[in-house]
Amino acid sequence: MRRTARAATALALGLVILVPLFPLYWMVISALKGPEELQKAPPTWFPSHVTFSAFGEVFQAVPFGGAFANSVLIAGVSTLSVLVTSVMAGFVFAKYRFRGRDLIFWSVVATMFLPPIVTLVPLYWLVSTMGLADSYLGVMLPWLANAFGIFLMRQFIADVPDELIEAARLDGASEGRIVWQIVTPLLRPALVSLAIFAFVFYWNNFLWPLSILQSDDKFPVVLALSRLLSYSTSVQYQNVVMAGALIASVPTIVVFLLAQRVFVQSISRTGVKG
Amino acid sequence: MTVARGHARRGAAIAFLSPAMAVIVLFVAVPIALTFWISLHDWSMYTPLTQMTWRGLGNYADLLHSDDFLNALGNTLVYVVLVLVTTVPLALALGMLLYFPKTAGKAAARAALFSTYVIPTVAIAIVWGALYAPDYGPISQALGALGIDSPAWLSDPETALLSLVIFHVWQMTGYYTILVIAGLTQIPDDVYEAARIDGAGFWRQTFSVTLPLLRRTTTFIVLIAAINAIQVFDPVYILTQGGPAESTTVLSYAIQRAAFQNGMAGQASAMAFSLLLVLVAVAGVVLAAMRRRTAAEGRS
Repeated sequence: MRRTARAATALALGLVILVPLFPLYWMVISALKGPEELQKAPPTWFPSHVTFSAFGEVFQAVPFGGAFANSVLIAGVSTLSVLVTSVMAGFVFAKYRFRGRDLIFWSVVATMFLPPIVTLVPLYWLVSTMGLADSYLGVMLPWLANAFGIFLMRQFIADVPDELIEAARLDGASEGRIVWQIVTPLLRPALVSLAIFAFVFYWNNFLWPLSILQSDDKFPVVLALSRLLSYSTSVQYQNVVMAGALIASVPTIVVFLLAQRVFVQSISRTGVKG
Repeated sequence: MTVARGHARRGAAIAFLSPAMAVIVLFVAVPIALTFWISLHDWSMYTPLTQMTWRGLGNYADLLHSDDFLNALGNTLVYVVLVLVTTVPLALALGMLLYFPKTAGKAAARAALFSTYVIPTVAIAIVWGALYAPDYGPISQALGALGIDSPAWLSDPETALLSLVIFHVWQMTGYYTILVIAGLTQIPDDVYEAARIDGAGFWRQTFSVTLPLLRRTTTFIVLIAAINAIQVFDPVYILTQGGPAESTTVLSYAIQRAAFQNGMAGQASAMAFSLLLVLVAVAGVVLAAMRRRTAAEGRS
């Protein structure tokens, strides 16, 4: 009885590892196949002849290198901005008392659940009226701060002892100094996980760049990838598309693997307090 | 609790809050109001806002008679319900599997599960397009090997929406599983010890201890999962463009298409604002149900 239960658990665990990873495996092997092998039906489950040519072709088919750089720029700047604005706002919501504080805070938190599609049309109008359609700034501006970051930072800053802050004030530290030199260093795990969340979100964000950008030299990598797909629907080009998908995925996978433990911890943390 | 006194601290509060609040007010709050305002007009999106023509609630009345909208609404509803009835129980089961047994490989399984959440949807949806491919895809080949006639998945109106649901479940279940595990860590061990002393076996413990104590977590997951499913866009855009035969046109895709491809921003906004109202209603019902239950528990 115990043995069957243990076997069932092992089998289930095996599936839980295999099923999520199988599409990734298929992405990699398809990127490594040549055009002839891709046209085989039924497909081969392991490339009989490994070729890396698709990884070169993807950069010729669309401006993929530039798109990659664009994504680094857009996701990088947005992430930095979210970290800074969230720490500042989180500090105010956690440590200052003023009338309407909780009402404002919870209204901000409610926007966390707003699907972006609801405000897409007026957002497009606003940003293009500001003259920022089809620009990097236009892609980034509406996302330079977000409710999730503010919520996360407030939860963590609330745990910083008040005595520490009071002591700093008695020593004559300015409020800015308290935030950046006393509170922020205590937030390192929370900041790491917010940075990952934000980076992954901005790197993967598709709907807004799709709506606001026209020129392909400003496309982030996911947009370039969707263009690449529409140029090469035929199965013999699948290796090129898969190589593109793989390159587009690598940064988020790397970031996730580097900081996986912090990531999962902070989900638990927000679950506790939220 | 620190009490902010004096001009210096008030100045600091304003300085610290204003960047975040400026972005949220200007790019979230104002657009919500504008969505409603635009929904009361005819507008092509690419002409100045001053050239809108007033329609009152006409766009909303049109929606009620529009086959396209009702189709998108129905597809969205089916999609959300199918996602909820599969992801939530699956995440609960997987969460328990990855929390309780003392076996090796749990950390690897957690990492594998969660990895699907960080990969760009566009990239991995493209892969799923290949997995679903009728002749060249591994799914139809595997089913064939088992003697099952594979459906045409994304190219058949009967199965296309279901195929997108399966993709969504594959992509999102890991995230909800992590939330379940977070909830499980909150249940003290002595509760289980007490249950064991009372002679409760595994199933009894699951249904009388674990699931009731996870109710808050479960409610939260239902809410988040519904919100995530209701706004699905990327896989529809990448894999089906709403087809075949409009069978996968969901609301968010219909909204984007109406505004950006058909130049009907007024009608798109009416759909968007209706979506928001539905969402607020759903969230209200779920939260009220949760509060009533907590209140009832408090009394007993």
